[in-house]
Amino acid sequence: MGFEKTRGALTRLISVSIICMGFAQVAPAGMIGTGYLLEDESRAASISRMDILLAREDVGRQLEAFGVDRAMVMERLGALSTAELLELEGRLDSQVAGGDIVGLIGAVFVVLLILELVGVTDIFKSF
Amino acid sequence: MFGAQRVFDGSRLLPALLVLVTGCASIPPSVSELPSPAGSVELEDTPFYPQERYQCGPAALATVLAQSGAAVSPENLVDKVYLPGRQGSLQYELLAATRTEGRLPYVIDGRLAAVWRELAAGRPVLVLQNLGVAAIPRWHYAVVVGIDTERGEVVLRSGTDRRRVTRAKTFLRTWQRGDYWGMVVLAPDELPVAADRSRYFEAIVALEQAGQSEEAAIAWATALRNWPGDTVALFGRANALFALRDYRAAEDAYRDLLERDGAAVAARNNLALALAEQGRYDAALQEIGIALSETDDSALEQELTDTEATIQRRKAGGK
Repeated sequence: MGFEKTRGALTRLISVSIICMGFAQVAPAGMIGTGYLLEDESRAASISRMDILLAREDVGRQLEAFGVDRAMVMERLGALSTAELLELEGRLDSQVAGGDIVGLIGAVFVVLLILELVGVTDIFKSF
Repeated sequence: MFGAQRVFDGSRLLPALLVLVTGCASIPPSVSELPSPAGSVELEDTPFYPQERYQCGPAALATVLAQSGAAVSPENLVDKVYLPGRQGSLQYELLAATRTEGRLPYVIDGRLAAVWRELAAGRPVLVLQNLGVAAIPRWHYAVVVGIDTERGEVVLRSGTDRRRVTRAKTFLRTWQRGDYWGMVVLAPDELPVAADRSRYFEAIVALEQAGQSEEAAIAWATALRNWPGDTVALFGRANALFALRDYRAAEDAYRDLLERDGAAVAARNNLALALAEQGRYDAALQEIGIALSETDDSALEQELTDTEATIQRRKAGGK
């Protein structure tokens, strides 16, 4: 649960920087602000980075070992808000300052971390 | 089933693991990373506002603002960035106050080389230091105005010292405890050295949201010189023109973008509004129709429907 707490705090922290993006604006009513496009772009980039990570053979083997379908994880990632996605990546990035995250901390750990963050683990708990 | 349970009990270990791994992961910046041949640099004419009368936040901010040509006194900044209850300023306030002066705050990479590059470009760097220890922090804002690469020293406007010279190693330790946070103040037509595209763009978006449309327009034009044809920058420039009520120019700018990226639904929404502002309601509604047929994003669809209703209302009322 301490993990949940940390996660909440991180989300809030990131929300501060994201909160003014999206449709929020001071400009004319109905005008979509530039932040919307920027956020959209970083979201797409984030999803594609996660896709590449999950497509790795070693990560794939680990997903299989846990009996988790990669497409399902991607679907979960797609359902996250941009703030949550960036937070998740932030968690992964904070593990390594550059370099190969999987090589450095291991596929099991990466997979566990992703599953925990996208909430797949909760599904298992309910079995 | 028990097996599955095990896995998740194992995941409880994650927080502990995170701490362990994080502990040895960060690579501290060092003097040796300075670009070679990196000469010494010092911006001697950077003004100095001693902290005796002002707190370090307003004083440091006034220093970097003045160097960028924004005439502002620390007294005027105190109300904006100083929290008496906390006896200090938050980074967010420094960023926000910079924007209200029509300047672009840009958070640099937390590396000495990045500081050096900005200094070499004539911009002093406002840094957050922790002069205490982790347990008893003593937060402090100062301005790096020089780096002496031969002697391994950093020159700061700090507190009551006009020219405080600190060993680079000592400076790096205090800066590390401030999470290597540092910012420069850019005029709207200036690019940071080795600009990180998305961070720089976010900085301009924040300027736009602060209502500094004129400066945002200049900044996006500057961005377009560095990233020609960039969709976000084109969108930004068009939006700034819209906010400045130059609807004809905004229309052209949106069309310019849509020519490159016909699927830019957000741009089409705004184009429709720019047309409506010129009283060209039918053309506006036509654009909304195209946009609605192109999106499958429900949030965007809602925006478009709202825009359509707005234009319909104005069309009916405007007659």
